[in-house]
Amino acid sequence: MTTAVVDVTVDDGNVRIAVAGEVDLANAAAVEDQIVAAITNQATSVSVDLGEVDYMDSAGMRLLFSLASRMAGLQIALEVVAPVGSSARRLVEVSGLPSFVALRPPLDRAAG
Amino acid sequence: MSPHAADTRKGAADRLRDIEAVTDAGLARLSVDDLLVELLDRVRDILNADTAAVLLLDRPTGQLVATAARGIEEEVYQGMRIPLGSGFAGRVAAGQQPVAIDDVQDADVVNPVLRQKGIRSLLGVPLLVGDRLLGVLHVGALVPRRFGEADVDLLQMVADRVALATQARLSETERRAAQVLQRSLLPESLPQVPGLEVAIRYIAGGEGDVGGDWYDMFTLPSGWVCMTVGDVVGRGLRAAAVMGRLRSAVRAYALATRSDPAAILDRIDRMLRQFEPGEMATAVLALLEPSFGRLHVSLAGHPAPVVATGAGPATYLDVPVDPPLGVAPPVSRRVTTVDLLPGAVVCLYSDGLVERRGVPLDARLGRLREAVTVRSAEEVCTTVMVQLVGDDRPTDDVALLTVRRLDPPSAEPLELAVPAVASSLRDIRAAAKRWLTTIDARPEDVMDVLLAIGEATSNVVEHAYGPKGGLVHVRLELQRPDVVVTVRDNGRWRSPRGDNRGRGTHIIHAVTDEFTTDRRSNGTEVVIRRRVGQAGSRS
Repeated sequence: MTTAVVDVTVDDGNVRIAVAGEVDLANAAAVEDQIVAAITNQATSVSVDLGEVDYMDSAGMRLLFSLASRMAGLQIALEVVAPVGSSARRLVEVSGLPSFVALRPPLDRAAG
Repeated sequence: MSPHAADTRKGAADRLRDIEAVTDAGLARLSVDDLLVELLDRVRDILNADTAAVLLLDRPTGQLVATAARGIEEEVYQGMRIPLGSGFAGRVAAGQQPVAIDDVQDADVVNPVLRQKGIRSLLGVPLLVGDRLLGVLHVGALVPRRFGEADVDLLQMVADRVALATQARLSETERRAAQVLQRSLLPESLPQVPGLEVAIRYIAGGEGDVGGDWYDMFTLPSGWVCMTVGDVVGRGLRAAAVMGRLRSAVRAYALATRSDPAAILDRIDRMLRQFEPGEMATAVLALLEPSFGRLHVSLAGHPAPVVATGAGPATYLDVPVDPPLGVAPPVSRRVTTVDLLPGAVVCLYSDGLVERRGVPLDARLGRLREAVTVRSAEEVCTTVMVQLVGDDRPTDDVALLTVRRLDPPSAEPLELAVPAVASSLRDIRAAAKRWLTTIDARPEDVMDVLLAIGEATSNVVEHAYGPKGGLVHVRLELQRPDVVVTVRDNGRWRSPRGDNRGRGTHIIHAVTDEFTTDRRSNGTEVVIRRRVGQAGSRS
């Protein structure tokens, strides 16, 4: 069974959601539930960090697209964080998500 | 009638006829229940008694339980229980001697059924097989009378017959129950892990009486593979039940502690001491890394696994043996890590395989080492059983778990056929990743090929089959410099449903060089081609 860990930190209206592990058809719905539950109506911005994702495919992208459209409707800013050269970043890029959502590398690595 | 009638009236001929009545060979054909009733009727008749009853000892509670009765059937219907040592039957059982009571009015009789019936005189004898007490047989009379020596002898003769029949039934019942239990406690089937070949042998030894051996193998979410063989000390139902609890506990702790066999054994040890005091078990626990390249082993009073790599004879893994589980004060358990080469064969086994009365252990261990060679897991199991068990029925349980690391030479294609369900996807990726590692593919190419395989197989899981399900076939072949992936199903394709579907196909196009889909009425075949550079020679 595929497993992922969703870790949430809330700082004021900023919600940071870090996903670790693997996301595929087997657990995408569960991961989506956890992500959506972490975003309250008070949130002003949401950052989804895929830095610790070992594998993700279109099942994971499906949830990011669906999240992007919901966030747009709620006027909550959404960004996706993925290190350059990671498999998650490659997937996000080929799927076309960056035309809707900001994609950036992790801050500490970008600085270095 | 005189109170002494039974003793004085009969001559030698009568007595002989009485003995024949209770030792009649025809009785042997009756079932145990019918035999008890028939014997009780005959003894009641011969001894001129009004009641006759058999009470069997229930060991866990130390109580006598009414099992068969004539004249006082209500004893059985009510499930009458009498503690050892108290009352009439309890006194017979505790003393393991015949007891006669001429008049119950002045005696210690606790059984209300006996009193309500108006029974005045009683004679009871113990049911014994050797020194082992099985219960009590007693007869009663509604009029006061004195049971004589000849009555005691005859009743004891019946009791011996009842004891033998009951003994046979008790052990048969327990044995069957233990076998059913044991079978239900062992895994029905072991997981198919792509890249590993597994075979098991399990023999319940000791004349069909079960012991507490177990084996198990399972995969963890992290991709690690856990293998274990263990042995609960003791035999019969109890040992089998403890074995079942241990096997479940190993799975639970393995899930919680992940990749540390010593930590798992430590928790099992604490669990046994806390919840099963007095029970002891030995076990070998081996955890195989997701790459299959290294094996982490911890031993709790258990013999070390044998490993054959093809280079020289098989060897016993050099692993220090820590104390068994459930006995010693807590110890710091050790883990030994060994490399497992492609093609290597590992055998985990219980001591029933190597211990044989009258044969030095070293000789048996030597024979096992010779029997383990680099062959298919099934062949290894067969050879080991032929060499170590042969035609000599094992006196103890024998559990043998053989695992072979299949690593195809790099040019050999990888073929998988797994259920088309979401939970298979992870296993498919893991196997593909191992194969791509063996052909020395560059990490970034591995990433893309895994993604393409993931999308193609997810499509099969989602769209190929109805609720009945089916298989997804995956084949990876090296056609340098390309890897060709074929994903095939035998279902009837239906168009994607729901929002945001169909993105997978787009992704496959983006990360591969060639992508074709052949959709037929009897299934769909997807062929993906991707150029793969070698990790060693960066371009």
